[in-house]
Amino acid sequence: MKLTRRDLLVWSAGATAGLIVTPVPWKLLDDVSIWTQNWKWIPQPTRGPVEVKQSFCTLCPKGCGMRVRMAAGWPVGVSGVSSNPINRGALCPLGFGAHQLNWHPQRLRAVRHRATTSSWGEARAAFAKASGEGPIVIVDGQPGRAASSVFQAFVQKRGGSYRVVPGAENQALAPYENWSGVPASTLGYDLENAQTMVSFGAPLLDGWVTPGRFTRLWAERAAGMAEPQLRLIQVESPLSRTAARAWRWVPVPDGAEAALAAGLARVLLDERLVPAHGPVPSLTLADAAAQTGLGINAIQDLARTIVSRPPVVAIANDQNPAIAALNVVLGAVGVRGGIVTRSRHTLSAQSVQAVRAAPSHVSYVSTGADIISARAVLIDSTVPWDFTPPTDAEVFHFAAWDGGSSKVDWLLPAPGFLEELTDVPTAPASAIDTYAVAPALAKAPPEGQGAAQFLVGIDPHLIPAEKIIHTRCEGLFRERVGTVHGQEATPVTTLASVQQLEERLWEGAVWVNDPPRSGDFRCELSEWPKTAGPVPPVNRLPTWLAPVLPPLASKLYQESGLRESPEGENGRKA
Amino acid sequence: MANSAFADTRWIARGVERTSLTRFVFWLAPWAVLLGVGVYAAGLCLYYGLNQTNMDNRFAFGLWIFLDLGIIALGAGAFFTGFLVYIMKRAELKPILNSAVVVGFICYSGAVAILVLDVGQPLRAWFTFWHPNPHSMLTEVTFCITCYLLVLGLEYLPILLRNRQLRKLPSFLVFEHQLHKLVPVLAGVGTLLSFFHQGSLGGLYGVLRGRPFAFRGGFLIWPSTFFLFILSAIASGPSFLMLVTAATEKLTGRRLVPQEVLRRLGFISGVLLAIYVAAKSVDTLVWLNITLPRLEVAPWLFYIHKPFGVPLVFTEMVILGLLPAFLLTYRRSAARRGWLLGGAALACAGVLLNRFRLTVQTLALPTLAFDEFLHYMPSWQEVASFGAVVAYGVIIYSLSYRYLPLFAPPKGEDTHVSGD
Amino acid sequence: MSTRYGMVIDLDRCTGCGACMVACAAENNVPAIPQATARTGLTPMLVRKVSNGVEGGARREAFIPIMCMHCEHETPCVSVCPQQAVEVDKATGIVMQMPQRCLGCRYCMTACPYHARYFNWWDPSWPAGMEKSLNPGVAVRMRGVVEKCNMCHARLHSAEEKAAAAGKREIDPADYVPACVEACPTAAIRFGDLADQHDPVFREAHSADTFRLLSLLGTEPKIYYQSKEAWVRALADPDSGAHLEVEHG
Repeated sequence: MKLTRRDLLVWSAGATAGLIVTPVPWKLLDDVSIWTQNWKWIPQPTRGPVEVKQSFCTLCPKGCGMRVRMAAGWPVGVSGVSSNPINRGALCPLGFGAHQLNWHPQRLRAVRHRATTSSWGEARAAFAKASGEGPIVIVDGQPGRAASSVFQAFVQKRGGSYRVVPGAENQALAPYENWSGVPASTLGYDLENAQTMVSFGAPLLDGWVTPGRFTRLWAERAAGMAEPQLRLIQVESPLSRTAARAWRWVPVPDGAEAALAAGLARVLLDERLVPAHGPVPSLTLADAAAQTGLGINAIQDLARTIVSRPPVVAIANDQNPAIAALNVVLGAVGVRGGIVTRSRHTLSAQSVQAVRAAPSHVSYVSTGADIISARAVLIDSTVPWDFTPPTDAEVFHFAAWDGGSSKVDWLLPAPGFLEELTDVPTAPASAIDTYAVAPALAKAPPEGQGAAQFLVGIDPHLIPAEKIIHTRCEGLFRERVGTVHGQEATPVTTLASVQQLEERLWEGAVWVNDPPRSGDFRCELSEWPKTAGPVPPVNRLPTWLAPVLPPLASKLYQESGLRESPEGENGRKA
Repeated sequence: MANSAFADTRWIARGVERTSLTRFVFWLAPWAVLLGVGVYAAGLCLYYGLNQTNMDNRFAFGLWIFLDLGIIALGAGAFFTGFLVYIMKRAELKPILNSAVVVGFICYSGAVAILVLDVGQPLRAWFTFWHPNPHSMLTEVTFCITCYLLVLGLEYLPILLRNRQLRKLPSFLVFEHQLHKLVPVLAGVGTLLSFFHQGSLGGLYGVLRGRPFAFRGGFLIWPSTFFLFILSAIASGPSFLMLVTAATEKLTGRRLVPQEVLRRLGFISGVLLAIYVAAKSVDTLVWLNITLPRLEVAPWLFYIHKPFGVPLVFTEMVILGLLPAFLLTYRRSAARRGWLLGGAALACAGVLLNRFRLTVQTLALPTLAFDEFLHYMPSWQEVASFGAVVAYGVIIYSLSYRYLPLFAPPKGEDTHVSGD
Repeated sequence: MSTRYGMVIDLDRCTGCGACMVACAAENNVPAIPQATARTGLTPMLVRKVSNGVEGGARREAFIPIMCMHCEHETPCVSVCPQQAVEVDKATGIVMQMPQRCLGCRYCMTACPYHARYFNWWDPSWPAGMEKSLNPGVAVRMRGVVEKCNMCHARLHSAEEKAAAAGKREIDPADYVPACVEACPTAAIRFGDLADQHDPVFREAHSADTFRLLSLLGTEPKIYYQSKEAWVRALADPDSGAHLEVEHG
C-alpha cells in the first residue's frame, strides 16, 4: 500500500486529536512544572525530629540565653529565652544568623603551619617545646570562663603571663579602677535603678551591654513617652540610632565630649546642684561652650536637667576620664543607679573565680615587655581577629574561622558556634553577678579543638574545663546565695543538691546573685583629669568576636541600606 | 540578474524580479549576526536566570515590557487593516493586506518570545491557562495574545503556501484555498481578540490602584487606559505599516503599492490619532481633577523629576500627537510623500513614547512618602534580546518579501522606480 | 470564627537594629546571595530609615519596618496575578503566596505600592553543608518566583498541629509568634488578631497616634504603625510636596 501525503496528513491529524484525549500531554505538562519546583540544585532542609534546646551564645562576652531549634541534631533556628534575666529574650541582629556560621566558607578545618597543612600532633609538640624553652603569653578575649582558669593554671606552671583583651564596656570603666583600686572588670552600671542617663556617644540602644538588658528597660520606661520614667540624654554627633530615639539629643562635635563633661561639672559645682565640692575642672564654662558649640545657657540648662530626676549616671564610650570625673561630681559612684561594684564579700574566692570577669591581678593587653620577649604567644579564639601581637615570638592562633591575611605561625581550628561546652561568666557592665553553663548542641567537627583542651593535651595534670565547671557549680551550691532562673526562679537555698543546680544550669538556666550592697566602692579624685586631645572611640564590632559575620548579616549591610558596612563604607547601592 | 551558480529563482514567483541571492545574503548577514547575539543573550538569561538583566525589585518591568507593549501597538495594523478590508469593505487597502499580516505575525511572535524570556519560570507559562484569574488583566492579555497569534499564523499560512514551489503541492493548494475562505472570519475574530488585548495591555497599568500615576477610573471594570490603548494602537498601526512598506520600497527600488494606499492609511491613522489625543486630553483632565484629588495626591509631584517632566508630556501629545495627525490628514502635506512618512514616523514615535512613559515612569516614581525617584538602564543582554526581535522581524519580512507574494504587482504599472 | 492576624508596630520603640530582618530571613530560609544589592536583595522584612528632612540640630530620624501589609480590601497583588498564585486566606486574613504556582511575571511587584514583594533573581544557594541549618518547616523557593512575608505561616501550621495533637480546636496564641515579633529587642512589633475585640492589638490598632501606610489608597492594610511624633505620622501618605526637596538630575 502506497503511503501518500494525504495519508500522512490524515494520520497526523488523527494522532494529534487522539493524543489530546490521552493523559500523556497533560502528565508531561504536570511533570515539567513539578520539575521546576524540585530542581536538584536547590538545597533541601534537613528532615528529622525537631527538638528545642537551650544554651548560650558564646560569640561575644555578653552571654545571651538562646533557645535553639534542632533538626536531626543540627541547629536550624535560634531565638532568645524570655525567662532569662540577662537578655530577657533578645538577641543581637547577628545572633539570629549565628546557627549558620559553622558552615561559613571561611571555616577553618585543618591545622596550618605557616602556608602548609599540619596536624594537631605537630602543633602540640611545637607548643610543648616552646613552653619548655621560654615564657609563654596566653591572650584571652573572654576572661572568667573555665577555659580561662586552664590558661592561668598553665602559665603559672610553665612560666609566662596571662593577658586579657577587654571589651568596649570594660574599657570605659577603666578610669574608675585607676581612682579606686577596684578592678574595672568587677564594675557595672546599675541601669535598672537609674532615672537619668547621660550617654557620651555610647550606643545604649544599639549594641551596648547585653542585648535586651537595656533595650527592654528603655522600651518599658521611656519609649514614646512624653514624660518618661527613664530619661536618656545622648551626647553625640551625628544623629545615631540611640540619639534618634533619645529623650534629648545634644549634638556635640566628635572630641568635644570631655569639654562638655567639664562644662557640666562646672555648672553643677558653681550652682551647688550637687553635694560634692570637687574636683573642679580647669576648663572655663565659656571655653566649654565654645568647644562644644552649645551656648553657656544651654550647658547650664542641661546641667539643671540632668540632676532634676536622680539617680543620674554618665556613660562613656571610651576611656575618657572626664566623663568618669563627671560621675564623681554627680555622686554617681558606688550608689544605687550609678557605677556599682558587684558584691565581693558574700562569695568565696572560688566562686569569685566563677563569676568574676577577670581576677584582680590580670592586666589588659598592652605592648608589654612580656609579649615582646615571649617565646610563644597563644591567642584564644575569643580574641578579635585583628589583634596582632607585637612580637617575633611563635604565635599559635586558635580560631574557628579564617579572617584572612593572617601572618601567624600556627592557625589552629577551634570549635565554632555551640560546638564546645563552656561556661558564661558575668556579662560586661552588669550590676549583678551571674553564672551560666553553655552546653554544646551542634555536632563538633573532628578537627576542631579548643585552646584549653589543647593545653590539657600537653599537660594532662591540668584540670580540664569540664571539671572546673563542675567545681564552680559545687561552690555556688555551697554558698547558698542567689537564685536560679529557669522556667521559674528557684532560690539556691531551696535546692537539695549540686545535681539539681547543675541540671537546671545545663538546661539553660542562669544563676543570679543576690543584689549587692551599695556604698562599698568609692573613687578618690582630687584633680580634674587632663585629657590629651580626643580619645578615639572604641570600635563596637570587636564585641562580636568571630572574624566573619553570619551570612544573613548581608540583609543589613548589602541587601538593604539599613546599616553601613562593617568596614565603614556605605554599603548602600540604589 | 540571477546568479546561475546559487540560484533560488525557482522559489521566486514568476514574473517578479528580485535581487541576486548573493546580495540578498549580504543584506541578511548583519541581521543574522544581530539575531545570533540576541539569541545568545537570551540563552544566558534562560540559563542563569533574570539576574542577567538590570531589572530589580523596584523595576520589575523593564525594557522588555516596553518592547512588548510597543511592538503590539505597532502590530495593530494587522488586525485593523483586516477589519477595514473585510468588515468595513475598504477594498482599496487590499494591496497592503498581506504585508500587514506578515508585520503582525512578526510583531506578535516577537512579543510572545520576549514574554517567555521575561518570566522567571517559562516552563510554567501554561499555568495561566490552567488556573486563570478572571480579575487579572494579564490573564486576558495572555489568552488573547496566544489566540491571536494562532489567528495570525492561520492568516500567514495561506500567504506562505502561495510560494511558487509550495503551490505545486496540490494538497497545500487545496488547503490554502480553504483557508482563504476562512479569512474574513479570521479577520473578525482577530478584530475582537485584538480589541480586547490591546485594551487589556492598557488595563494592565490602569488598574494599579497602588500607582496613582498609572491608575485611572473608567467604565465598569475597564479603566480609561483600556480604551486609550486601543485608540492609540489603531492610530499607530497603519502608520507603522506605511513605514515598513515605504522602507521596503526604498530598499528594493520598486513602487510596491499605489501612493493612494499609503495616503489612505495615513489619513485613517491621522484621524484616529486626533481622536486619541482629544480622548487622552479629556482623560488626563479627569485624572488630574477627579481621580487624583480623591487619593489626595498632588499631580505635580509626578513631573518634577528630569527627564519625565511636563515637556515630555507636551512632546507626546503635541509634537508626536497633534502634529503627525495634522501632517497625515491635511491634504497638502499628505500629498507629499516625505511629509506623509514623516507624519507616520512621528505617530509611531508618539505611541512608543506613551508606552515608555507608562512602563518606566510608573515604576520610577515613588509611591511611599519616603521613597526616592529611581533610575534604570537595561543591561546588554536586554538590549541584545531586543535587537534579536528586530533582526528576526527584518529577516522574516525580507524572506517573505523575496519568496512570497506580499505585494501583488499592479497590472500595467511600471514597478521599477530605480535600477536594480 | 475566622481570625484577622495583623500587627501594630510602635515606631517610637524601633531602634533600627535589624534583628527582625535577620530573624525573618533565618526562619524563612531566605538565601544571602553574594551578588545581591539593595535593589535585588531578598528582604521580606525590611527596615527603612526615614527622617524629617531637616539637617542640623533639628533633624529627626526614625525607622519603619516594612513587610507585606496583608491588605484586606481590593488586595492589589491578588487581583493582578494571572494564575492565582496569591490569595487572601479566608480563615486568617494572611495574604498567601504560592511560589510553586508563580511563573515570575512580576506583575504583582508592579502592583504593590509598599514594595513588599521580592523576586528570586538568582537560584538560592548556600555554602556547602549550610543547608543543614535550614528551617525544615519552610520550603526553599527556586529562582524566577516572587516571594514575600507570609506571617511565618509555618509557625501557624505548627501551632495548629500542636493543638490538633492535644485535641483542641483553637491554637494557643503563645504558640504562634512570627519571627520578627519574637526577635524585636524592644517589643516594638505586636502581633494579634484584629478581629478579636479583646485582643490588645485590636485596641492599639484603633488608638490615637496610629496610622497605616498609604491609607488613602483604600487597601486596608493589616499592619498598623504608631508614633507620638507628628512628622512620623505624616509619612503615612505622600504629602502635597510642600516640604519636598526637588530631585536633581
